[in-house]
Amino acid sequence: MGGLSLGEKNFIQGGIAQDLRSDGRKRLTYRPVSVETGVIPQANGSARVRMGATDVISSVKAELGKPSSLQPDKGKVSIYVDCSPTAAPMFEGRGGDELSTDLSVALQCCLLGGKSGAGAGIDLSSLIVVEGKMCWGLYIDCLVISSDGNLLDALGAAIKAALSNTGIPRVLVAAGASGDEQPEVDISDEEFLQFDTSDIPVIVTLTKVGRHYIVDATSEEESQMSSAVSISVNRKGHICGLTKRGGAGLDPSIILDMISVAKHVSEQLINKLDSEIAAAEAGEDDS
Amino acid sequence: MEYVSPEGLRLDGRRPMEMRQIRAEIGAVAKADGSAVFEMGNTKVISAVYGPREVQNWSQQISDKALVRCEYSMANFSTGDRMRKPKGDRRSTEISLVIRQTMEACIMTHLMPRSQIDIFVQVLQADGGTRSACINAATLALADAGIPLQDLVTSCSAGYLNSTPLLDLNYVEDSAGGPDVTVGFLPKLDKVTLLQMDSKLSLDLFENVMQLAIEGCKAVANYIREILLENTKQLEYRRGL
Repeated sequence: MGGLSLGEKNFIQGGIAQDLRSDGRKRLTYRPVSVETGVIPQANGSARVRMGATDVISSVKAELGKPSSLQPDKGKVSIYVDCSPTAAPMFEGRGGDELSTDLSVALQCCLLGGKSGAGAGIDLSSLIVVEGKMCWGLYIDCLVISSDGNLLDALGAAIKAALSNTGIPRVLVAAGASGDEQPEVDISDEEFLQFDTSDIPVIVTLTKVGRHYIVDATSEEESQMSSAVSISVNRKGHICGLTKRGGAGLDPSIILDMISVAKHVSEQLINKLDSEIAAAEAGEDDS
Repeated sequence: MEYVSPEGLRLDGRRPMEMRQIRAEIGAVAKADGSAVFEMGNTKVISAVYGPREVQNWSQQISDKALVRCEYSMANFSTGDRMRKPKGDRRSTEISLVIRQTMEACIMTHLMPRSQIDIFVQVLQADGGTRSACINAATLALADAGIPLQDLVTSCSAGYLNSTPLLDLNYVEDSAGGPDVTVGFLPKLDKVTLLQMDSKLSLDLFENVMQLAIEGCKAVANYIREILLENTKQLEYRRGL
């Protein structure tokens, strides 16, 4: 995409001001979301989410490891985002590193808790096998295949869908392990525990263009933004994380207003995502 | 370990001269000038082409030809064990070079001087034959982008295990330590444009194995042609012709 002409910029800004965006959507309407689960058979869980032309894949791999000595009763989760050069030529080589790191950190902030592990959207204590000695480590790897704006929301949705699709193998711990010995474990090939994802938040990004905010901006609209606030909200309406991007200052009352708008929009998004994920899982079971 | 059973079946139930199931889709990445997804069995690869466009680095500009650049990367989750470093490792650099040279030979670069064509290939699932799948995906993406080609480049691999030539090796067969011959072929011009082999193979057997790989390439070429025809029909229909 080259630069936008002055006429195009005015068109985008004017449309948003009149609640009629370039593709006909209202300011608070999401693009059609399509979810496919189980796209990566060798991972424990995976999903592909498409929002318009934005296309992301998320995969979850579970590996046994030792829990951190600071939090012996919690498992580990690490989130890593990679921007594929297929999405934009500027992601070639190390060009995508900055955006990838930015997205990884934002996702970690929204989905995982603080340093003490408290307040995580994902329940880490369910990943424990033997307290202090063995726990599951979830490696969530995301890949951006095609980018047309609103990557953070799409990645958040993909992670939620991938975790819904994740099956952790059942582990039988041999009795009689003592002291510092690593316990013997038998990893079942047959039985899987489905991960509980009802508390995982979704991320809603509100992009401020002119005096109004829009949800699910395309990359053209994002180029006109003055600032953007990404809020992660869970099913109960609690805020799990907040990031502000963009240099323009925002009046605190506007931020509070954006938060309440995001909470309102997140209900629809959560319902839509849940129904799409359920349909995808059902479709996968049939095939 | 037995890779070909006495009844003549391989580990995944195929016959020695049978290819894996191939599937292709054009236009997967909406923002690219041309894109395609190519699957050979469990190996799945997505390719995007950006170009011809202005050369980004002016010093690399060529006055009478287009500059062709290529990058091959594997996703973290593409292999069985999670990969730590998806880009920049030696294998990726080598494969990027191989794909670039193969595609450069068949693109009519003299028609687009002072411009740049970027070919990006991303491996989503790796189960042997990623090199071949990437070349096939790149061909489809270049065709989707409307870049003039002398001929389609198709690629397939073949090997030799348990005294049997095998077509289209998967990861397990490839790791067996036997020879792995990858061929890049121009079907209409009937010319071999890429030939790579690892391990060792006696000369009389080599010709058999290479011929087998070439037959595989021809089969892929037929499939690619069908996909492109179908795509053109769709485009005609959408234009109301």
